[in-house]
Amino acid sequence: MSSAAPTRRADPFSSLPEPLRPLAQEPEDRRRTSTTWLVETTLLVLVAVLLATATIHDVARQTGINDRLIADLATWRAYTGHHYKNVDIDQQLLGPSSEHEVVCGNTSPGPPKRRTQLCLAIWGPEHGGRRTVHGGWYIPPGSEDQRADRYGCFGAGAEGICRR
Amino acid sequence: MNAVAHGERGLPGIRSTRWAPALASLLALALLAATVEIVLDGAVGHSSLIPKSPAIAGWLSGVGERLGFRVFLIALLVSCGAYAGLLAIAARTRGRGEAVISRRAAIALIAALHVIVFAGPILLSTDVFSYIAYARMGVEHGLNPYTHGPASISHDPVFYYVGHVWRHTATAYGPLYTLISYPLAPLGLEGALWGMKVIALAASAGTLALTWRCARDRGLDPTLAVLIVGTNPLYVIYGLGGAHNDLLMMLLMMVAVSLTLGSLASSRREAGAAATIVAGALVKATVAVLLPYMLLARRRVAPILGAIGAILAGALIAYLAFGSHGVNIVSALNRDAAFVSSDSFANEIAHLFGEPGVFPVDHDLLKAGLVIVALHVAWRTWRGYDWVAASGWTLLAISVTSTWLLAWYILWPLPLAVISRDRRLLAATLAVQGLYVLHQISPLLAPVQ
Repeated sequence: MSSAAPTRRADPFSSLPEPLRPLAQEPEDRRRTSTTWLVETTLLVLVAVLLATATIHDVARQTGINDRLIADLATWRAYTGHHYKNVDIDQQLLGPSSEHEVVCGNTSPGPPKRRTQLCLAIWGPEHGGRRTVHGGWYIPPGSEDQRADRYGCFGAGAEGICRR
Repeated sequence: MNAVAHGERGLPGIRSTRWAPALASLLALALLAATVEIVLDGAVGHSSLIPKSPAIAGWLSGVGERLGFRVFLIALLVSCGAYAGLLAIAARTRGRGEAVISRRAAIALIAALHVIVFAGPILLSTDVFSYIAYARMGVEHGLNPYTHGPASISHDPVFYYVGHVWRHTATAYGPLYTLISYPLAPLGLEGALWGMKVIALAASAGTLALTWRCARDRGLDPTLAVLIVGTNPLYVIYGLGGAHNDLLMMLLMMVAVSLTLGSLASSRREAGAAATIVAGALVKATVAVLLPYMLLARRRVAPILGAIGAILAGALIAYLAFGSHGVNIVSALNRDAAFVSSDSFANEIAHLFGEPGVFPVDHDLLKAGLVIVALHVAWRTWRGYDWVAASGWTLLAISVTSTWLLAWYILWPLPLAVISRDRRLLAATLAVQGLYVLHQISPLLAPVQ
């Protein structure tokens, strides 16, 4: 039934060269064997491979980040001896791609950020579910981790971070 | 001859006939159980997955535990596995002329999934509260939702539930949708929420009914078609669970497609189809991509006139209701197109190549890629390719190239994929959905604390 010829009566496109004329329906024999179909399918497979690779890579990347952040929390809790649930992790302050994190939490029981907070600069490889503390600072109750509020800075991790 | 043919096929066919119904029942139960688990745990209340919400499903809250990532992801993976198994059985047995999953069983399963999710809380998204906020801004507070964000009604009870990201954002939805949502505003927060859920449920039911009809009109198996759409975990859990207006857009999309199919196709129906696509775009602009493909395929004056008439009527209504801002949806879309979500493929590819994320130049490259795809399928449509498939490819390409990808965006091409003449579209749509789900699983791989 399908034909390469235009299907309209008084076809306004009949003056066009045959390859440019519109068709009512793709010829059946062209659907799965034409070069166009093969090129399209090849490109689709290549795009699928790219998307699958990117997805799997990103899952692995996310898993690595999750493992690192869990180790950071464990490190803060082990260092302070406090097993608080509300502990903040800042991945931006020491460089978003640096894998260096700042972890802050209360130094005594109370609502989140309503007590003096201890922030620790943590980086390095993970050993036994923990990473190395390279320094830190304190911030007063009710404050965000801003340069002007940091005090009692210690260690290499606090260099250039604190006001003094 | 038949006996010989059966004999040549041998035991595998007989075995499959025996195990297929039992396995299909088991998979259907797994799909139902996983959905029930998500709904019951979600009903307990706010968590990292369940938005803050009035307790509309409080009567379910005594059974489950607060929904966390681990339980949700396990339930989602079980749903996806059961879904894939069901489709494999349905497709395989259909190929042999059997019907292991009967029409009645398929409809019962879809209905059960819909009822379970409808009865439960709002899942995985705060969008529905934005819809209600925009409606209440217009009706209760006399504010134009195209010029103000929900923050302008911070004293309204709905404001507390609107997602933080969207509190200062004016609506990006079409004026028709905003007007449809207005009658819900006086119902109060809970009333409006139920109203939104009813709209989503009715839109989904309509979409499925039209998917059935379109599949039948095209000589495809309607049972398999509605099974693929109506039991899809992303469709049920994210789309229906979040009461997203994408379902209403998809309903209008399928109304338009159904008007062009079947023996009753006429100039008047084609004009109506074009007008319906415009109406869909006045709900959510994305569906407008169907229009050029339909016009290219039909090459008649009637749909062009239908589209022009609907655009003029829509623009007039939008202008009268919302002023010039209600007409200018393009600027809102451009604003939203600049957002980046962690689940977007563009972001994943950027990470693959060692970049921290998507840069402005990447947005331009992605737009160029989308234009190339759209032009290619337009050319193919001109040369007789199925316009429904062409529309589906473009919707899929939009979601894949978008830097702001959400689960309900990859539902758009699904009803078109199941009725298209190009089966590659269905495979590609399901593959993209599979990759989306795969990308969610990293919390499952973290050690249990």
